[in-house]
Amino acid sequence: MTPIITVPWDEEHKLPGLQSQAIKRCFPVDREIVVNEVSFVRKCIATDTSQYDLWGKLICSNFKISFITDDPMPLQRFHYRNLLLGEHDVPLTCIEQIVTVNDHKRKQKVLGPNQKLKFNPTELIIYCKDFRIVRFRFDESGPESAKKVCLAIAHYSQPTDLQLLFAFEYVGKKYHNSGGSGAVGGSNQKTPFFETYSDWDREIKRTGASGWRVCSINEGYMISTCLPEYFVVPSSLADQDLKIFSHSFVGRRMPLWCWSHSNGSALVRMALIKDVLQQRKIDQRICNAITKSHPQRSDVYKSDLDKTLPNIQEIQAAFVKLKQLCVNEPFEETEEKWLSSLENTRWLEYVRAFLKHSAELVYILESRHLSVVLQEEEGRDLSCIVASLVQVMLDPHFRTITGFQSLIQKEWVMAGYQFLDRCNHLKRSEKESPLFLLFLDATWQLLEQYPAAFEFSETYLAVLYDSTRISLFGTFLFNSPHQRVKQSTEFAISKNIQLGDEKGLKFPSVWDWSLQFTAKDRTLFHNPLYIGKSTPCIQNGSVKSFKRTKKSYSSTLRGMPGSLRNGIISDPDLVPRRNSLILKAKPDPPPPPTSQDHGAEQYFREWFSKPADLHGVILPHVSGTHVKLWKLCYFRWVPEAQIHLGGFITAFHKLSLLADEVDALSRTLRQHRAGSLDAGHAGPDESRMYFRVSAHATPGTPDFLSSAFPFSPVGNLCRRSISGTPLSKFLSGAKIWLSTETLANED
Amino acid sequence: MVNITVIFSLQSLFLVGCVPGCLKICANVMSFLLTPLFHFQTSRDGVNWDLSEAVPRLPGETRITDKEVIYICPFNGPIKGRVYITNYRLYLRSLETDSALILDVPLGVISRIEKMGGATSRGENSYGLDITCKDMRNLRFALKQEGHSRRDMFEILTRYAFPLAHSLPIFAFLNEEKFNVDGWTVYNPVEEYRRQGLPNHHWRITFINKCYELCDTYPALLVVPYRASDDDLRRVATFRSRNRIPVLSWIHPENKTVIVRCSQPLVGMSGKRNKDDEKYLDVIRETNRQISKLTIYDARPNVNAVANKATGGGYESDDAYHNAELFFLDIHNIHVMRESLKKVKDIVYPNVEESHWLSSLESTHWLEHIKLVLTGAIQVADRVSSGKSSVLVHCSDGWDRTAQLTSLAMLMLDSFYRSIEGFEILVQKEWISFGHKFASRIGHGDKNHADADRSPIFLQFIDCVWQMSKQFPTAFEFNERFLITILDHLYSCRFGTFLYNCESAREKQKVTERTVSLWSLINSNKDKFKNPFYTKEINRVLYPVASMRHLELWVNYYIRWNPRIKQQPNPVEQRYVELLALRDEYIQRLEELQLASSAKLPDPSTSPAGPSQMMPHVRTHF
Repeated sequence: MTPIITVPWDEEHKLPGLQSQAIKRCFPVDREIVVNEVSFVRKCIATDTSQYDLWGKLICSNFKISFITDDPMPLQRFHYRNLLLGEHDVPLTCIEQIVTVNDHKRKQKVLGPNQKLKFNPTELIIYCKDFRIVRFRFDESGPESAKKVCLAIAHYSQPTDLQLLFAFEYVGKKYHNSGGSGAVGGSNQKTPFFETYSDWDREIKRTGASGWRVCSINEGYMISTCLPEYFVVPSSLADQDLKIFSHSFVGRRMPLWCWSHSNGSALVRMALIKDVLQQRKIDQRICNAITKSHPQRSDVYKSDLDKTLPNIQEIQAAFVKLKQLCVNEPFEETEEKWLSSLENTRWLEYVRAFLKHSAELVYILESRHLSVVLQEEEGRDLSCIVASLVQVMLDPHFRTITGFQSLIQKEWVMAGYQFLDRCNHLKRSEKESPLFLLFLDATWQLLEQYPAAFEFSETYLAVLYDSTRISLFGTFLFNSPHQRVKQSTEFAISKNIQLGDEKGLKFPSVWDWSLQFTAKDRTLFHNPLYIGKSTPCIQNGSVKSFKRTKKSYSSTLRGMPGSLRNGIISDPDLVPRRNSLILKAKPDPPPPPTSQDHGAEQYFREWFSKPADLHGVILPHVSGTHVKLWKLCYFRWVPEAQIHLGGFITAFHKLSLLADEVDALSRTLRQHRAGSLDAGHAGPDESRMYFRVSAHATPGTPDFLSSAFPFSPVGNLCRRSISGTPLSKFLSGAKIWLSTETLANED
Repeated sequence: MVNITVIFSLQSLFLVGCVPGCLKICANVMSFLLTPLFHFQTSRDGVNWDLSEAVPRLPGETRITDKEVIYICPFNGPIKGRVYITNYRLYLRSLETDSALILDVPLGVISRIEKMGGATSRGENSYGLDITCKDMRNLRFALKQEGHSRRDMFEILTRYAFPLAHSLPIFAFLNEEKFNVDGWTVYNPVEEYRRQGLPNHHWRITFINKCYELCDTYPALLVVPYRASDDDLRRVATFRSRNRIPVLSWIHPENKTVIVRCSQPLVGMSGKRNKDDEKYLDVIRETNRQISKLTIYDARPNVNAVANKATGGGYESDDAYHNAELFFLDIHNIHVMRESLKKVKDIVYPNVEESHWLSSLESTHWLEHIKLVLTGAIQVADRVSSGKSSVLVHCSDGWDRTAQLTSLAMLMLDSFYRSIEGFEILVQKEWISFGHKFASRIGHGDKNHADADRSPIFLQFIDCVWQMSKQFPTAFEFNERFLITILDHLYSCRFGTFLYNCESAREKQKVTERTVSLWSLINSNKDKFKNPFYTKEINRVLYPVASMRHLELWVNYYIRWNPRIKQQPNPVEQRYVELLALRDEYIQRLEELQLASSAKLPDPSTSPAGPSQMMPHVRTHF
């Protein structure tokens, strides 16, 4: 097929009328190139009426589709501004499906890349990965231009190659402009990326893990292309052994340390040993090494995730059904059977399964003092969720914003979660699976159950999910750190970019939130309920400061147990000699499941009978009555589900005002104590809160608040055609999310 | 009991804090309970009180018996304990050292007492009593098989749980509690109508029902159209089921549209018409000149309304009522609701259905019924608030679904009813005074557990209120505990508030003179029932989203007996209260610092006058 797009990547198509403020506002991103555009387009706003529709220009760039209008947005009282995206924009990587319709000829077609379109579209429907459905009508536009824009969108949103994603274009230009230095954005200093030796070393020290060391055998990705360059292994395993063992593991993914409990139990993840002959022996060696790294020489508990949890295909199927149910089907028709339909998606069941399994591993680590090894075929899918959830439950550090981000770097980005394939940025759908969303959803369940235990808000989680769909950032773009280096080095060479000493191009990081949001907007990430380490709280009427308990994790190195010096174990009985009877030396199998289940049951019962220490372990309630649908994330575009002036946000608003006031008082007090008699107030910039006490604001709920806040369904979910035939008629009642198979041939 | 008056304040204090009938597996409750009593007892010379008899007792409550039993706890297995029965409650305390279990159940919640097993039945704990409660739980006690040991317990329980069958008074008439607030004064109909701006040019207050002659299930005081004479009212009464004529419930302060309630018209099979009724409805419509139609919401499903013609009822036909439009709201009758709640109990007690929770919940249809009730109320509220038309609401008799719809619509429309006292007035007005048949629906003191008149209509209303409070966390002055307390005392028979079917019966029994009002308990301890997030707003209409996507099972009520479904105090609420205390503490400290610094500085012009000057923006907001 011949490419339809005439504008090649390299050719810069200057934006006409760049002086216009409206245009400037919509194209804040460097290196963004307009590919095609069409004027006199109508954007549909409401489902049942066309009276709110907006007139403007639809533009396809190499980063997003934009709709530029001078019409004010109707109905909408508030819009959370993303600095990269206008309120009508959709990043190309967020597009799931493009449907063109000609309602005179009663034709429709799902547009793939490099496809022909035999009719002039009167309507364009963009199905987005973030559940939005955006519709444009071309009744008054030039038919040829409309067609070209549709084809351009189809082409650019379904690139054939990773290097065609916008991030490359963007970062390449940055390097050109800055003369070779990788000064892209001001990356957030606080979040460790775990790209370096020292980040891992600090994490070992922070958790007080003894018997573990940073291993650099994968420098330059010499061992494995899906492992990070640096990772942590038992001290007793020598580099040479690891190199030998690595051949037996799927993807050469040998055991990776995730985290250590203060009692010495470690959380480890690894791939399956594919070499059947060596399996037992290597497994034995690994287990022994992990046991040796435990100060009490405790056994290893293995958890085979492939056998206990739903697989990625099942999770994807659940997600597709959930999306179908939440946004694509008519609201009223799904009401009667809502609960059973929701159950039938199995999404909540899977969220529960992950929470439950992770909580059981918390019990093993915390109560039974055993190290846990997560085993999975490749060790880079379900392991990411479980390893992260276990750490969120056990370590309050990961419930702070920086900590949570470092966890995602550690257990997802660096551990080789295949963001490119799972997010399906290149639209090769067979590998798609929303594991990262499932993790965010499970985290939300914990946040919902322990609202004061997290530094971040649910808005943060939703925005983080959305950020996986913005192809400007390198964070969620690749299948592994190696892929970034390899692809960006290739790209640099082809573009004559001097990399110098750098390993690949440095892409902007999602954690640099200032690229997306203003400082004021970023305060919406803060949870006003959060009780930080240093935040005083009231107990029995008197102010107390939170003190770290013995169990908490500090950044200082903990003393090592006496028997353990420099990682060498003095007790010879515990070291199985080489060539000794392996069977004899094999660690005891885990006790029969019944007795362990009983122990877990007891542990959970006792834990739940006491008030939760928000700076200690938190465990999820996993019964059907407790695990709920994350409404902000899944209903934010659904107008019918929006509670105007209601929802949790209204309580959040009140809390923020109070927390802000308490913060201000505390600052004033500190100033007083510091001897300053000037009782002036701290500037508003110091506030952590989005909603602040102000002399002008009237008490009461601001009228822009709704249960969808800070998002808005206005114009973001147009299920049915506004003028002419409802789309459902074209689809003859097809009840599935528009799939290529159903529609591809109907042109 | 001689000592009752002395200990009363202490006990009432305790009982306020503790939901009656609450299952406690918490040792410190016991010490809280025992310590003050112990002090009191030791101070009384000569009175030899066995500590083990220390059972909370209300003034007027007398002990009948006690017995050693095995409580078959559905969650923790059999627990040996001593059960104490008074004329008000069943109280069980564990005799096992490792369990601090307490069971405190007002006898009023008991719906049914059955003997289980026989003198010859085998197996451990197979002989005893099985008690079904109205508040979503069952209790099971095992007793020794020898010597008919359960017989007297069965008889005493039956006698005091079902006093009506034994010509005994309901406990509320024996209760001698005293509160510093009199809850009976909360609702004064004249004052409430005056608050609504009534009477006015179009509506008048009539005393035609002063002696309940017009309608024996209506209150004495009614608001009717100014242009309808008392004679008109009498004629209309003949055409409305049980003479429950259309009367005003609420008037919009600005557009003056109204919510009017009544029972079904007596149309019957032959399709009878009544000119007076037709004219009366038109008079109601005409109180707003500019509006051409009166909207009638028949709460029932269409088919039920038609079926009612067979028993003389029916609905307003188009040809008879030209200036009215009628809509059916599809809310089912009391029997459907009762069966639905039974199914809820089946899936939550004692064990919560785990494997298919959501579809099981769906199959109870409970939330679907909640949705229909809320949807109906939203429609009523929307009509009135938009000024489109006045609304007349009825079902069959106008005391179940009608009360739900009018009171919920009023709650949406009028922020006054969202305050604690406002809500009490709403319940007192739309439910109690307008003759919701509490006695029949709840069966206070009645042993006839299978009575077809029983139905959880009021519970369903409270559930709807809870759903609204979930969707609007800052709109209500009261918290969840307030709603649960109301429901607990709906059954407990400790207060006179919910006794009897109508105002005339209550007056006859002198309920306000002889019993204590539930609102006395609540209003003398309001802080406990306050929602810290409450933001008072005037004239804001609340429209909840009556969608299955937002409706939830009220776990903290329906599943509260299950210790595994933890009922933790709302952490968000708790944190807010903590922050409030912190703020006060900081303000106080700041004041002290400022005082100290002003003392150091003798020049008065530089010393701050007070915290209000120091922090103008901080204090004014609150």
